[in-house]
Amino acid sequence: MDRERKIALVMGAYFLICTLAMIWPGAVIANRVEPMIFGLPFFFFWYVLWVFMVFIGTIILYRWEYGGRS
Amino acid sequence: MQDWWIVTGITVVYLIVVLAVGLRARSQQDSTLVGYVAGGRELGLVILFFIMGAEIFSAFAFLGGPGWAYGLGAPGLYIMAYLGLGLLPWWILGPKAARLGRKYGYLTQADLISDRFSSKGLSAIIALVSVAAFIPYLTLQITGAGYLFEAATGGNVPFWLGALAAFVIVAIYVYTSGLRGIGWTNVLQGIIMVVVAWTIGLTVAYRFYGGVGSMFREIQAKAPEYLTLPGAGDGMSWAAFSTAILVSAIGFTMWPHLFMKSYGADSERTIKKTIIIYPLYGYLLIPILIIGFAGILVFQDNPLDNQDNVLPQLVVNVANFSPWLIGILLSGALAAAMSTGANLAHSASTVLVRDLFVAVFDRDMPEQRVVSLTKGFVVVLSVVAYLLALVNPASLVDLLLGAYGGVVQFFPLIVAVFFWKRATTAGAWAGLIVGSLVTLLFTFFVTTPFEIHAGIWGFIANIILLVGVSLATRPMPEEHVKRFVEGSKAPLEEIGESQTSQPSA
Repeated sequence: MDRERKIALVMGAYFLICTLAMIWPGAVIANRVEPMIFGLPFFFFWYVLWVFMVFIGTIILYRWEYGGRS
Repeated sequence: MQDWWIVTGITVVYLIVVLAVGLRARSQQDSTLVGYVAGGRELGLVILFFIMGAEIFSAFAFLGGPGWAYGLGAPGLYIMAYLGLGLLPWWILGPKAARLGRKYGYLTQADLISDRFSSKGLSAIIALVSVAAFIPYLTLQITGAGYLFEAATGGNVPFWLGALAAFVIVAIYVYTSGLRGIGWTNVLQGIIMVVVAWTIGLTVAYRFYGGVGSMFREIQAKAPEYLTLPGAGDGMSWAAFSTAILVSAIGFTMWPHLFMKSYGADSERTIKKTIIIYPLYGYLLIPILIIGFAGILVFQDNPLDNQDNVLPQLVVNVANFSPWLIGILLSGALAAAMSTGANLAHSASTVLVRDLFVAVFDRDMPEQRVVSLTKGFVVVLSVVAYLLALVNPASLVDLLLGAYGGVVQFFPLIVAVFFWKRATTAGAWAGLIVGSLVTLLFTFFVTTPFEIHAGIWGFIANIILLVGVSLATRPMPEEHVKRFVEGSKAPLEEIGESQTSQPSA
């Protein structure tokens, strides 16, 4: 499997998980108030967390795609 | 209250500065259409980022977002979710659009689609669907500007006058400086808006509840239904919530004004860097939603008639901020409405003139005339949206979600252009038309089944017809479709300047 394919598969799966975490059925498990984190209800915090995961994912993807090339 | 003079004064000064920055940018570009539409194709990262960013900081974010948190509670989080996800498809589609745009000199989204499917009529349909989606979006910005002026001046500037003032300014700077004008104004406005959102959000939580944590504790004790799905009142089911996120995330990059901007990007890395920073814009929704949640207990005994007014009501009438601060806050929120409004007015008129008038009726229209007609329609569309704002007080979120149902119908076509050689003209027509009609049906005439967003039903019908009809009709010439599927694989950096400045139709 060539490099490009591998990147597409791994990151595609990663972002699919991020998406499913924010909608049904993934988000169902987070639909509660406790525990509060940073003063936010858990359901609210859940979205803050996954938006961050998307952000991290794009950084990894960028580095992976352009890694080793100037 | 005579303090409103201070508020109005600060706002007026701010609007003048915005206008001046926009006009200054004008002297730095030529007046050809490519210059006017795509910023001369050399937009740097900072400008591109703020142009796209200004999308988020619209009247929707400042009024509709808190409005939903105040009215329903947790369902408002759908906005943060789609902002986080919305630009991901662009990682693949954006560079491809930029490559073909540079290669064949496209200016609009419909240029690309109608060239691939060899159909000028398709271009007209796309133009009509786009404008139908743009008008509610533009109306939303104007309505927002009107609320803000009205609330902040204690009613001394009535709704109609506030909305009018903001949009005369928008029309002037779009009219005179094109996209570059929008870019520089957005740089200025973007910075102010971030500061404003966090300032109001944290201050409001501290002033009424002594902090964000204790605010949510208090809501948990007195009205816990707001903090989880389905939310308060009618709320939102999981199906409605999930499909609202999906339709917005898929439709997001299909907005013609965002799509067009990829043609102006100077490198693929710029596009990807923009996508990386983008989810962080979603964090602007944290203070915004906090403001809405704060309203839940503050207005518990006297519920607001209009939930979209929760932010101005809290800031102006309840929190007792100094008029100086209110002026700055108002300016920031107004800036949000105006920058997005400018962007929308500019794109809608470009789409209408190029994809409908030029493509279908008069292919040899001189460029000078195209530019002046585009500018004319900026004014016409702004006026139409202004009149709608005066008569249509629908919820801001509903206006926006309806518009997304329309633009999401472009997604299957764009994917087919880049990846599916077998897609045919008939398939594209069938998919787009039936998809749009199904969306209209479930938006306005029939209650949507299973509470799934109407746009998703249209999207599914669209894909089925695009695939089914394409397979049932004769394939398009291999040479022709190769230009798009293979042509979009060569990196942007290898393409150089486009051969001609006209679409090679």
